[in-house]
Amino acid sequence: MSNLDSGTLVTVVTIIVAGLGIVLGTITPAVVEGRAALRAIEGMTRQPEAAGDLRTTMIIAMALLESTAIYTLLIMLILLFANPLLDRFFS
Amino acid sequence: MGLEPRNMIHLFGDVWITNTVTSTWAMMVLIGAVAYVLRKKQPVALEMLVDFLHDMVADVLGPEVAPMYLPFLGTLAIFIAVADNLSIIPGLVAPTRDISTPLALAIVVFFAVHYYGIRAKGLIRYLIDLASPLYLIVLTLPLEIIGQLSRTLSLTLRLFGNILSGEMIVAVIFSLVPLFVQLPLEGLSMFTGVLQAYIFTSLATVYISTGVESSD
Repeated sequence: MSNLDSGTLVTVVTIIVAGLGIVLGTITPAVVEGRAALRAIEGMTRQPEAAGDLRTTMIIAMALLESTAIYTLLIMLILLFANPLLDRFFS
Repeated sequence: MGLEPRNMIHLFGDVWITNTVTSTWAMMVLIGAVAYVLRKKQPVALEMLVDFLHDMVADVLGPEVAPMYLPFLGTLAIFIAVADNLSIIPGLVAPTRDISTPLALAIVVFFAVHYYGIRAKGLIRYLIDLASPLYLIVLTLPLEIIGQLSRTLSLTLRLFGNILSGEMIVAVIFSLVPLFVQLPLEGLSMFTGVLQAYIFTSLATVYISTGVESSD
């Protein structure tokens, strides 16, 4: 790696970090959303007449949980396609 | 498949009209034309849409005040639902794919919360409710301000990120396989778009209800 220039090194590190970060950033929302869906389905089987309300609340809650994964994805997209470090220091 | 919108019309200096803005203009014509034709041919379809939106708003705000907020919230829902799926028309892009459009919508919601709150309770009463309980004002007022700003940011980024990620997944698959494989993913992206319109509107309704109803 000693023969890489600094810009290439930053790009390589960014790609590795993006791969790791998207994995870590999506595991937690996926697990928590699964738990939310599990509880909602338990509630629906116990009280089928409340299924409509439960479904609406579950969808809104899951969208809020999903947004953490979306924030991770946005930061990774910025790092990959519009990296501010590359523009500032190596242009 | 860059993140930046393309420039279409040059105004002056560095100021351009981007293709997201021209797509929004096309979308306004499209929605107006479809609504006009439906009103002539199939008024029942429009009534079903309005009924659905009314039920959605009335579940949170109550059926007696729902008609007061329905024009704003229903417009938000229809605008976002059409804007998210506009890229299926060749030559147009989804306006919500550019971060400016979701940011503008979230800022409109931010001001609408305060406008409806002041209109329902009066300025003094609204400010007191914003900072209540008053003996903890050093804690509650900064937290309330941070909460207002961060919910605007999260509304923006949720809509923008979902639409952009849906379009980018389709674009990546399209660059690998030319045909047929990306069709289910395009369907998923369209479903996400409609779902995000529903969620944006529900959250705006919840924010308006917290601003309108009194704390005691």
